[in-house]
Parts: sequence; structure tokens; C-alpha cells
Amino acid sequence: MFGDLKRFDTAPAQRLDWFRQLIDEVFPDGRAADIRAVPRGSFPMINVARSDEAVHVYVFAAGLAPDDLSIDIQDNVLTLRGRREPVAGNDEQSRARPVFRRERASGEFVRAIALPDGLDAERAEARHANGVFEVVLPKREELKPRRIEVQVA
Amino acid sequence: MNEVVHQTQQSQPEAQRNENREPAALLPAVDIFEHADALMLIADMPGVTRDSLHLEVDNNVLSLEGEIQLSMPEGLTALHAEVSGQRFARRFTLSHEVESEAISARIDNGVLSVTLPKKDNHRVRRIEVKAA
Repeated sequence: MFGDLKRFDTAPAQRLDWFRQLIDEVFPDGRAADIRAVPRGSFPMINVARSDEAVHVYVFAAGLAPDDLSIDIQDNVLTLRGRREPVAGNDEQSRARPVFRRERASGEFVRAIALPDGLDAERAEARHANGVFEVVLPKREELKPRRIEVQVA
Repeated sequence: MNEVVHQTQQSQPEAQRNENREPAALLPAVDIFEHADALMLIADMPGVTRDSLHLEVDNNVLSLEGEIQLSMPEGLTALHAEVSGQRFARRFTLSHEVESEAISARIDNGVLSVTLPKKDNHRVRRIEVKAA
């Protein structure tokens, strides 16, 4: 479902090799980036979807336990705050050992996203499974779609 | 050169299979570092469960593949997507020092840790200097 959106600026280049990425940076393809696109490597990545009843926010935060992420809503802005501990291999004892790749982000992060109007923050719920947090924000009753029956005259 | 051609032919069915699924594959971010007796690989694969993860060593190539399992209700419309794909995939060539039979892995909160033990004769060994 999310595959048809191109909100992640660098998604196509992500699969390509470093040389291609370098070329793309030097000669950008001129396509307009989405206004809300984030740079490559942002952590955590976020998907937002809506249904008739609610707005669902999926936060892809691998390595965070449920207690590691704080989720706040104020004035229709959802703020995600947390800290991801660096993996072993960063401590004193193993510092002398070679590190070949370090692509994973660690440390503190804050991300904020604006939500659509008309959500009921009081009834919001959050779930966590396998490093993905799902925040469900129900719509207020008056904003749910309604079918209007046509009366026979 | 010949060797490369040979390998390509050999793995053609697999290559075709990969080609069909390729557009949706995301590249997981990884950390790779070395311990005295093993190489460690840590990969971020949020949404991948133990059952949807597929690890394989073939011809000294380690492939990580994982399907993102999200329980999404019917009738959702996407508003914003930074993760636009259903699966993660990445491949690494192993060096000959890795004991491929003894590779072990675990996945915890969407973080995959793979331990690639070194063969006995490649481990770091400290040699004690004896007093004369």
C-alpha cells in the first residue's frame, strides 16, 4: 500500500551502489522532492495512513523497546522522542577492534509530524511489535464519513 | 571472467526470482565489526519477525531477507510513506576465514544480530612471553 508513494526522497537511489549515488548527487535528476521528504538515514522512519475511523502512524524504530520511545501529541503535532543505545563494539574494550561499517543511527532523536485536523487525541492508542510502533488516532465522530440516504419523494 | 559467467548461469532461477521481487526491496542499515573470534553483523529490519526472516549462505555469499509484517486494517489509504516497500534484502560476500557452518543469528525488536565465527586457525591468539 505504501509502495505507490514517493515521499522518501532517496528511495530509488537507496538500492544503488555508492558510485551511482555520487553521480546522482553531482547531477541531480531535477525531479522535485516532496516538501516533507527526509534525508537518507533519518531515524526513525515514519509512515502515515488513514482509514475511515482513524489515522494510523507507523514508526519504524528497530531496536527500541516499548519504554524507549515517548509519544506526545500537542496542538495536532505528534512528537516522537527517544534514544537508541549504540550496540556493543563501541565500548572501551572493543574499541581497538576494527569496525567495517557503521550505518545504523544511535543516540537521541526527536521527530515531529503534523497530523490532519479532527483527531481525538484522548482516545489515541499505541502498540509495539518487532521494532515497529503503531499509533492509532481515532477521528472525531463528526468527521467520519457518513452516507446520506436519498429519500423517495 | 569465466568463473563469473559460470556462476551467473548456475543461479539463474534464483536471479529471476530476485528480479521479480526487486522493486520493493529496501536496503537495511548495518553495522559490521570484529571480535577476536568472530565477525558481528547488526542490521535494522523493523517489522521483520523471526518467521519472516530468511538467512542464507550460498557460495560464500550471505543473504539477509526479511518481509515486513505489519498488521494493518483493511481500507487504509497512505498519506505519507518513508518506508515504501514490503521487504528488506542485502547480500554480503564472506571471507574464507568465516566458519559458515557455525553462523548464528537472532532478531530482537527488529534488530538482527548475526555472529560469524572465525575458523580456528584465524582467531587472534596472544602469545605469552616467558621470562628467560
